[in-house]
Amino acid sequence: MSTPQLLFKNRRPGETVFIDGYKATGGYQGLEMALKDSSPEEIREQVKESGLRGRGGAGFPTGFKWNFFPSGAPGPKYLVCNCDEMEPGTYKDGVLLAADPHQLVEGMILSAFALQTDVGYIFIRYAYEQQADYLRKAIAEAKAAGYIGKNILGSGFDFELHVHGSAGRYILGEETALLNGLEGIRPNPRLKPPFPATRGLFGRPTTVNNVETIANIPHIITGGALWFRDLALTPGSSGTKLYGLSGHFNVTECFELPVGIPLREIVENYGGGIRGGRKFKACLPGGASTPYLTAEHMDVALDFDSLEKVDSRYGTAGVTAFDDQTCMVAATFNLINFFARESCGWCSPCRDGLVMVRWLLETIDNGQGTPEHLEMLKDQLKNIAGNSFCALAEGAMGPLAGLLNHFEQEIVDHIETGKCPFRK
Amino acid sequence: MPTLTIDNQQVTVTDGSTVLDAAEQLGIIIPHFCYHKALGPVGSCRMCAVTVHEGTFKGLKMSCLVKAEEGMVVTTDDQQSVEFRARVGEWLMLNHPHDCPVCDEGGECQLQEMTIASGHGIRRYGGKKRTHNNQQLGSFVAQEMNRCIQCYRCVRTYKDYCGGSDFGVMGSRNRVFFGRYKEGPLESDFSGNIIDACPTGVFTDKTYRFKSRYWDLQEAPSVCPHCSLGCATIPGGRYGELQRVRSGVNEKVNGFFICDRGRFGSSYVNHPDRRRQVRSDGQPLTVGDGLSKLDAQARELIEEHGPEAVLLLGSNRASLETNWLLQRWAAELGCRAPLLSAHLQRHQAAQVAAFDLSDRLASLEKVRQSDLVVLFGVDPLAEAPMLAVALRQAARNGALIMVYDPRPIELPCEVDHQPTSPAQLLAMLVSDCEPEIVRIREMLSEAEMPVLVAGGDLLGAEGLLRVKQLAVEQSNEKRPCLIHPILGGPNSFGSAVLSLPEQDDLLTRLESGRTKMLICVETDPLLEAPEGERFGTALSHVDNLVVFDYLPTPLSVHANLFIPSTAPAESAGSFINNEGRQQLFAPVTNPRLPIAETGAGNHPPREFLSTAPGSDPQPAWQLLQQLLGDMGDLETVRQQMATAVPRLVDFTNLQPGGVCCRVTDADERSLYAGDLPEQPEGSLQLVVTPARYGSDLPSRFSAKLTPRFAPAVLQMNPKDAAALKLAAGSKVSLDTEVGSFNLILNCNKDVAAGCALVENGAAFPHLVPGGLPSFCQVSAGVRDD
Amino acid sequence: MAQEEKIDQIGLLEEEELAAFIDHACELEHPREMVIDVLRAIQKNHGWVPDEGVELTATILGITPIEVEEVATFYDKIFRRQVGRFPIHICDSICCWSNGGEELAEQFQKTLGITFGETTKDGLFTLLPSCCLGVCGQAPAVMIHQKLYGPLQLDDVDELINRLRREASA
Ligand SMILES: Cc1cc2nc3c(=O)[nH]c(=O)nc-3n(C[C@H](O)[C@H](O)[C@H](O)COP(=O)(O)O)c2cc1C
Ligand code: SF4
Ligand code: FES
Repeated sequence: MSTPQLLFKNRRPGETVFIDGYKATGGYQGLEMALKDSSPEEIREQVKESGLRGRGGAGFPTGFKWNFFPSGAPGPKYLVCNCDEMEPGTYKDGVLLAADPHQLVEGMILSAFALQTDVGYIFIRYAYEQQADYLRKAIAEAKAAGYIGKNILGSGFDFELHVHGSAGRYILGEETALLNGLEGIRPNPRLKPPFPATRGLFGRPTTVNNVETIANIPHIITGGALWFRDLALTPGSSGTKLYGLSGHFNVTECFELPVGIPLREIVENYGGGIRGGRKFKACLPGGASTPYLTAEHMDVALDFDSLEKVDSRYGTAGVTAFDDQTCMVAATFNLINFFARESCGWCSPCRDGLVMVRWLLETIDNGQGTPEHLEMLKDQLKNIAGNSFCALAEGAMGPLAGLLNHFEQEIVDHIETGKCPFRK
Repeated sequence: MPTLTIDNQQVTVTDGSTVLDAAEQLGIIIPHFCYHKALGPVGSCRMCAVTVHEGTFKGLKMSCLVKAEEGMVVTTDDQQSVEFRARVGEWLMLNHPHDCPVCDEGGECQLQEMTIASGHGIRRYGGKKRTHNNQQLGSFVAQEMNRCIQCYRCVRTYKDYCGGSDFGVMGSRNRVFFGRYKEGPLESDFSGNIIDACPTGVFTDKTYRFKSRYWDLQEAPSVCPHCSLGCATIPGGRYGELQRVRSGVNEKVNGFFICDRGRFGSSYVNHPDRRRQVRSDGQPLTVGDGLSKLDAQARELIEEHGPEAVLLLGSNRASLETNWLLQRWAAELGCRAPLLSAHLQRHQAAQVAAFDLSDRLASLEKVRQSDLVVLFGVDPLAEAPMLAVALRQAARNGALIMVYDPRPIELPCEVDHQPTSPAQLLAMLVSDCEPEIVRIREMLSEAEMPVLVAGGDLLGAEGLLRVKQLAVEQSNEKRPCLIHPILGGPNSFGSAVLSLPEQDDLLTRLESGRTKMLICVETDPLLEAPEGERFGTALSHVDNLVVFDYLPTPLSVHANLFIPSTAPAESAGSFINNEGRQQLFAPVTNPRLPIAETGAGNHPPREFLSTAPGSDPQPAWQLLQQLLGDMGDLETVRQQMATAVPRLVDFTNLQPGGVCCRVTDADERSLYAGDLPEQPEGSLQLVVTPARYGSDLPSRFSAKLTPRFAPAVLQMNPKDAAALKLAAGSKVSLDTEVGSFNLILNCNKDVAAGCALVENGAAFPHLVPGGLPSFCQVSAGVRDD
Repeated sequence: MAQEEKIDQIGLLEEEELAAFIDHACELEHPREMVIDVLRAIQKNHGWVPDEGVELTATILGITPIEVEEVATFYDKIFRRQVGRFPIHICDSICCWSNGGEELAEQFQKTLGITFGETTKDGLFTLLPSCCLGVCGQAPAVMIHQKLYGPLQLDDVDELINRLRREASA
């Protein structure tokens, strides 16, 4: 494998690396260096220079986010790691934590130092209880080694880190809903502004970052910003990325590959082609909320900017492939069903609009659709997209937009033949 | 003050206004659900979408969330906005049952209006609807969850705004449920507000269900008669029955909500025992004959026995107009000026509020905005419920609330309560070294907008003057220290404004034996004066008792001549609230026997009459006008009043349902500073407090409220009880200056030490709140009287 | 301890667990942040969260039962109704769907003779649809008591059920 392995450096099938193994390959060196030689500003500057963009889906430049953070403000401030990872097709954070939990722990300490927050939370989904256990163990080890606690490595910096479990809802991945969940109140998203950086957890300044984002920090510190930028294949991108493959690929594993790798390489080299010798029809390039790519997109580079140009999104880089026998109406119905079911129930376009969309897709999929239903579907897309309270319903419109953009004929076929052309 | 353009019209609005506010200022009503003026915007329903063409954020935006900006250009009627709002209408109707014909909200349903306004008309969704089971929420509020459109207004009203703790949101996705953890009566004293807040028929008034359609209901703006705050209400009546009350809006007073006492305490108007006919010694008379008889008798008595022979008694339930005309009639008759209250101490406290405090009165709005509120001798839920909600708003904005009171204070917000006996309260207010008052002074001096809330009942006139001293001392050039006094009744302030400085006691006058005729206007001293029993005895000196009232009080049964008057909701009139706001109310219905009661269901009536049965009651002011031989209408009376009493606001500047104005300031009276009684060795301080429900007479005669009436108990601090070897739950005997009573003992550590606490209400009417500090003994066992 | 026994009337938490939660609630500035922890602990011991569990959580955290219920009813993995000893969450999201998730779900229903939302008569199994379980590379997958199984073939169902049956009778 030619790609340098940062995040998966210590990954071995079925094994979890703890502190000795982690340190043996250079773990905690970044932390020791930084606490000795760098100021928080310098680390923030380095992260900005590195061009790291959030790995949680939205791709917001991490350095920018950190520089908005009022790190000098008095009183408690929080760093929260988002390990909710409940978007279908996305499982990279789970793999990372199962392999090498100390990366996140070191990343959290470094990030907390950069942001000058004294308490950190790792918010982890219900299904990742195994990973949560690994994290608890890693945190205990880090504490014993003096990386967590009071006056870390003599730097005068204090930090406490907690693991906080959830009980299963996708909306908890939305950062403000996550904060409500952490506080133990109903996890509806919050109105923004105020943004978490001003009023976050318990009303205090808070930064929320994805697991993979934070796990990259130690590598940026040890390897340097420029090195990190150069890892990517496309200009304007930086770093490596965890690509979780799923669906109809022959190989459905998670790989660490450069940002900007073309879709073809994923499909042909890493995914090993499509199962059963079938043809590639489409894929979700970055999780359930990203518009489909099709065979015509094989040479598109997988990065934030390139995918936006083809009306899709990089998202979490969880690539779910569909073979040529997949009914895209049915696939989209499945995806919308997920989003409708995971709606928190706060705003109308999501709570009720998605139910409407689900019914339309179900009707069409059952062969009972009419041309009016197709028009209504377009109309729902136009009115839901961009108009919901948080990005959940927005995300739900991703696959629907993809369906209408690339597979309208399939809908028409359902309507004209009165049945699903793919069902036997 | 940005100027912006909405639908090609320019408008300038105050800083911080939203586009929705700005449009409203232009008369453009943008459909909306989750936004509510009192609750603020949350941006969840998405109904208020408009298109922003020029501004920081362009495109389809929620007008409740977007702040107006200079030079902004907005359209509400462009295709994109109109179409989006129609979709929102459609989404919200997805699950809604098409049951308008059987829904009580029909006709006053925001969902009906907004669906029409949004342009959604034809149902296209063909999937299954979600359904819910309903909960039984007690006798006030009915729930029909299938009609819910998830605007979250109920929970934001009940829990966030009013501080209720037994109602919430459960479930998620398209299955959110608004209700209680388990079925059962809603516990908040402000539960009825969800009826007003809910834009559809989920929460409706159970006491009014299926009685009327909104369009058949007669409504008019009114003022709540249940305490001295004077909240805005909108009673509704039909066919002679007062069927419901909903909250009015007065941003200076209650804001948008009212308490359950105000909302469900209106059925006294339809009390089955209400007397609707003039009766002279048991014989029915016409109103005209009754009045002539009264006038003749009064004049005869004065001629024969002198000006003391006739004693007129007004009240804090009677309107300003009535009390004033009573004074005029007295002058006309040549008798002494009327007493305007049967309760001297309450009346004196009201006079201190109306005169001595008049230049530093705080409205309820000011309480909501305050950053430090100190309450002396006030239990808001008992004496002025909406004050509790106002305090909560202050607390939500970070204010500190401190309470010094002997009672166990419950408030829907964080509160620093120091149990303090009445004697301690009066002493601390004038102390230099008492640690609590030193602390209060320190905090007051740092506060930006402090308000002192002072309870007239517990502090009395003297105590209110002491609170004033503190306020004067704590005011500075930068900001005043204001006072929000709590008084005995809805028009206590008004009676005080009219009253002459010297007032003697009703009992002293009656016991002198010189009064031959007593005319009580809308008051029953048996229940409303501090020594009811002594009053009863003193009545034996009176040959002729005349009562004007709309309540079936015990006194009206004893009356030699009874003249029925109208309830506030049946007449126009005015009250002055506790902060001096002169407020008008408009008649809602005409007095008459409710149709439900005529013919006992045997409809149509078999007798054909030219007037409705039971329509004799007239507004007391109108009856007095007739006694004065004056044909002037209410406007004339009001003109005369405003001239005669220069403090009053010119009535033509006021409007029922408006914010109304405060009466002007007046010189101090400071008549009452005097020695307070010494506490006898071994006694306890007696604290008589109003029950939350059924202490004021209108609420006591309101059947709808009976589920909330509490049994009579005596409360003491457990330490005091232990010292007296009394067990909680046991029967004890309470010996007071006015009699002995058997009660069950409750121990509560939040009762101030050295105090015995009883609630005045339906279950225990014998002791009345307000009065000079008095003392009592509590002992074990039952004593035979 | 006597007092604590009173608040947990039906023994939903181990004594030490309860004491630890109470201590922790006293230490925290915002004890409410523990609400999911307490509910999950109750569910772990009792299988689901009965009303007493909601009330116990409220008591430990010093909040009202409705405040607990508001949160408890939001989450899918908190059961407010009784479930079988082995609640089986069958993933029905896109990756499992595209790898035979529907057929797998049918197989479970056939084998157990129940449909989604039902519990077998012996009280052992409840079938529940679930959204993505985070093992999309091993689709189709199911989760039982936070343990993940995948990829599952149709033939694996019988064996899995039998294993769980044996576990239950052991
Ligand atoms: C419905 C929804 C679900 C989300 N789920 C996740 C998630 O599981 N993990 C995550 O890191 N970010 C998730 N996000 C994005 C977060 O809101 C947030 O942008 C992210 O955690 C920021 O971290 P980053 O900048 O490091 O990516 C989600 C957003 C939405 C709207
Ligand atoms: S119950 Fe009524 S007030 Fe509450 S959210 Fe539903 S529609 Fe709104
Ligand atoms: S879609 Fe089933 S585990 Fe992800």
